[in-house]
Amino acid sequence: MHRRGKPSSAIHANMTPMIDVTFLLIVFFVVVSQIVDRDAVSMDLPLPTDAASEVPPQIEHVTINLVPYANGDVAGIVVGGHTISHGAWEELKAIVQTRLRGGAEEVHLRADKATHYEHIHQVIEAIRELGTSPRLQLIVEGERK
Amino acid sequence: MILKRRSSGKIGLNLTSMIDVVFLLLIYFMVATEFKSAEEAFPMDVPLRNEGQTITLDYEPLIILVDSAGDDTSDVRVRLEGPWDALTSLDDLSAFLRKNKASGFGRSGLFTETHPIRVKPTKHTRWEHAIAAYNVVVNAKYSNITLDEPS
Repeated sequence: MHRRGKPSSAIHANMTPMIDVTFLLIVFFVVVSQIVDRDAVSMDLPLPTDAASEVPPQIEHVTINLVPYANGDVAGIVVGGHTISHGAWEELKAIVQTRLRGGAEEVHLRADKATHYEHIHQVIEAIRELGTSPRLQLIVEGERK
Repeated sequence: MILKRRSSGKIGLNLTSMIDVVFLLLIYFMVATEFKSAEEAFPMDVPLRNEGQTITLDYEPLIILVDSAGDDTSDVRVRLEGPWDALTSLDDLSAFLRKNKASGFGRSGLFTETHPIRVKPTKHTRWEHAIAAYNVVVNAKYSNITLDEPS
């Protein structure tokens, strides 16, 4: 029986496709991590059943986050990259007013589902007192379809 | 003059260190990236307050009182302010709003689409319960809805 001879050169794995895929993944993650909305603070948003909510229009806006305590109170407010204490309404109004003058057309209000309504109403009142009457978007979690 | 001998092996680029760095970058981005969850919104106009002025409304607003009976999503209580039948659930509220809606095409009803409706939660109502009541009104195709001051 005729036997084949061993190949003389060593076996090497071709790394090119793996490097291609890896670079593609890196580019993907770099791009996606810049798209993520940095204004949004992580929290449990309300998820109403049979929700009639809509995806808000992609226009310039300012986001107000009510950072929650577990008991329904508010630990602080994150707005436009600033963290302010709950109750600093003049500071909140100044930040929102600055953003509205800078071109923002809407105010997005994000609050945890367990937050007591009195805290949310205080924020709505603060926005109302600005007198510019921006459109308010009450942010909820989108239904997973 | 002594000439150096050429090395016999092929000239190759050592990719090992680059692959190490690339994988480190990949792992970093995979761990650090937080995908934003799909968010939706209920639009609401913030009406301007006219201090000291009397506003005459064409229609008496329908006021929906909302309260939380517990921490569960379904622990929401609603009732209507005024001489209306008692409601026990959001389903009742939905049925009431749909039954009494005037369509404008010969169908008589108490409330038009633009009838002012105020959702009025208590101070300690959970936000998800206030939003659930708001959602019921939006689902019933009413457009003039506001969140009122807490009762």
